[in-house]
Amino acid sequence: SRGATGLYFPQNEYIETVYVGQQAGTPILQVHAMLDSDSERPHFYLCWAVSHRHPYSSWFNLDINTGILSLNKTLEESDFALLNQKSPFVMKLSLKAMVLPYFTKKPQCNSRSFFRITLDFVNATMPQCAQTDMKELCFPHRDTSNPHIMENRFPGPLRQLRRLTRLNVCPNYTISYNVDPDTPAPFAVNENTTELVVTAPLDREESERYRLLLVCTVRTETVITKVETSLDVFVNDEDDNAPYVNGTDTADIIISFNRTKGGSFGTLFIFDRDLTPIYPIDQSHNKYVGTLLNSDPWVKETFAIKGTFSEKKAAYGGIRMTVHDYQLVLKRNLYVTENRTLQLDYLVNDTTYPGLEGTVLLHFNVTILPVHIRFPNITHMFTLTRRASVYAQVGRVCVENCQQFDGISVTYRLEVPDKNVSADMQTCYSAISITQAPDEMWGLLYVNDTEALHRPECQDLQYLVVAQEEHTQLEASTQIHIILDSEANKASQENQQFLSCAENRRRGDCESVRGLGATTGRCQWRQGSEKGISENYSTCSPDLRTCPDSFCDAVESKDTSICPQDCTKETVTGGHERGLRNGIQAGYGTCYCYSERCFCEKEDIEEPICDDMCKTIIATAL
Amino acid sequence: IMVQTRGCLLKEVHLNVTDLGLGYQTKEELIFRYCSGPCVEAETNYDKILNNLTHNKKLDKDTPSRTCCRPIAFDDDLSFLDDNVVYHTLKKHSARKCGCV
Repeated sequence: SRGATGLYFPQNEYIETVYVGQQAGTPILQVHAMLDSDSERPHFYLCWAVSHRHPYSSWFNLDINTGILSLNKTLEESDFALLNQKSPFVMKLSLKAMVLPYFTKKPQCNSRSFFRITLDFVNATMPQCAQTDMKELCFPHRDTSNPHIMENRFPGPLRQLRRLTRLNVCPNYTISYNVDPDTPAPFAVNENTTELVVTAPLDREESERYRLLLVCTVRTETVITKVETSLDVFVNDEDDNAPYVNGTDTADIIISFNRTKGGSFGTLFIFDRDLTPIYPIDQSHNKYVGTLLNSDPWVKETFAIKGTFSEKKAAYGGIRMTVHDYQLVLKRNLYVTENRTLQLDYLVNDTTYPGLEGTVLLHFNVTILPVHIRFPNITHMFTLTRRASVYAQVGRVCVENCQQFDGISVTYRLEVPDKNVSADMQTCYSAISITQAPDEMWGLLYVNDTEALHRPECQDLQYLVVAQEEHTQLEASTQIHIILDSEANKASQENQQFLSCAENRRRGDCESVRGLGATTGRCQWRQGSEKGISENYSTCSPDLRTCPDSFCDAVESKDTSICPQDCTKETVTGGHERGLRNGIQAGYGTCYCYSERCFCEKEDIEEPICDDMCKTIIATAL
Repeated sequence: IMVQTRGCLLKEVHLNVTDLGLGYQTKEELIFRYCSGPCVEAETNYDKILNNLTHNKKLDKDTPSRTCCRPIAFDDDLSFLDDNVVYHTLKKHSARKCGCV
């Protein structure tokens, strides 16, 4: 046997009933302690708090050797009255007891090593044999707690099956017990003492629970009656299995685009057939301690190993076991230029395993690749109509692999490729701007100045987009070409007011409005088709590719009138579902907004036909 | 200025949430309170003048709003679970107090 040893209780609570008129010396119940070796002898003591002795504390005696609790005095009706009872029929008497492997004159119960005995003191005499059910004779009315037995320990008796209070109720009956042999288990009944005995050391990794069928046989002169009850015996775990790796102890990790602090890589598993309790929290049973073996300060400030564990049932037998998993975690953002390979060794120690092989060594082979900040080798061409409204989205740009970036921050700016252009041409470049949301990798190009778009001298526009990485200041640039697709029109040069598309509730109104952010200069209508509250609600938008798409992008957030459907922070009136952050996720009928106040409602275009039922209702109402 | 009158009263009706016509699909119910009744007693010279001008067609097409019976306070928010087990909360959906405004 391994681990901590010593006397322990197979159950920490006992319950029995006592009656008025029970004689001094009558046994009530027997408690048991499980032994750790044949030479060990348990010594049982009742414990009493010095500060508040119960009036009933001297009524009972616990035999130091046998564990049999008996009455010191005959119970009288006046005893019942003496107790400050709440119920006139039953009084609960609570006793504490403990067991020690040696004799002591002053037993001191500490909070961890006692068990509880609860006696229901009934204000009546014990029922006679004729009034007693066979079941009552054999087993307690409400069963006490299920026994728990430590694995790998010495076998022995764990429970008295006889109801000692009923020994003399029916003197002509012979009562015997046995464990149903149809379900084989290392348990038996000692016929001389009627104790349930565990006959061999148990192994939790073999069976976590034994379901015993206890059979009580009552013989009278004429009849044999059998009463059955089931009893679950649980096997407690101790750390008697070493950790092991099933498969590989090495993880190959490549770190490239995800370089963020807290990012985790690779997973290595360690298995342990023992359990790892999570409660109580300070328990150390089977808890693992890991050590990073690298001493390089760069490694220590950059990497950590994160270990978690979970319980799973073994494939065979369904016995619970522990799976530990270990991941490499970044403790800081890695710069895009960092480039190296290294091996991390991590030693995991099962500290409570008493054997020699309680450790496992894990290896993480790490390759950090640099990330190049560059644009894809393509020409960026965007077309734009001169009718486009201010805030109309022209397109978007992004450095190579930007969608996979994590922990890398790139900002974009627009530059004029030729610095020596005329002042007239210089003003043309105010037509387009670039913007970016703080947590987004894309740079969004949008119309900044419609007046410049309308001027005939502003022909196709060429810009340089410069991307800059935040930490290293590395830069990359690409040319973009914006093609204006219609003739400049003097008439449309007059300063027009742009309205918010979202205000329009009908298709006709919507499509005739020059809306803020409209790519074609006109608002676009989306016709919802579904009944009820739907993500595809009817609405009027400046550009159906970006609004509503349940996402308030960097351009839309410049002015809440562009796409309040995605961006509103205010309460929406009518049937709707709110977006995760802002805006409307789903709406009923048509959703429209005045400034930031949005409304969703279904317009009843057709009057419902009044059927017979409806006519009856109207007639009755009148 | 809001004036409490005898005519404008808080009334209530027991409804299914689906009766509200907001598109929610649920079996939940509610007590809906609304304001109803005449506001004649709360009228001022302003209202009388407007009434006369409208009657004599002195204000071409304009018909300005008259005193009317409206909620001046709303009930607490109503939360309910719809048939897809999604929670919704209705705000300012039912009257608590009425007045002629």
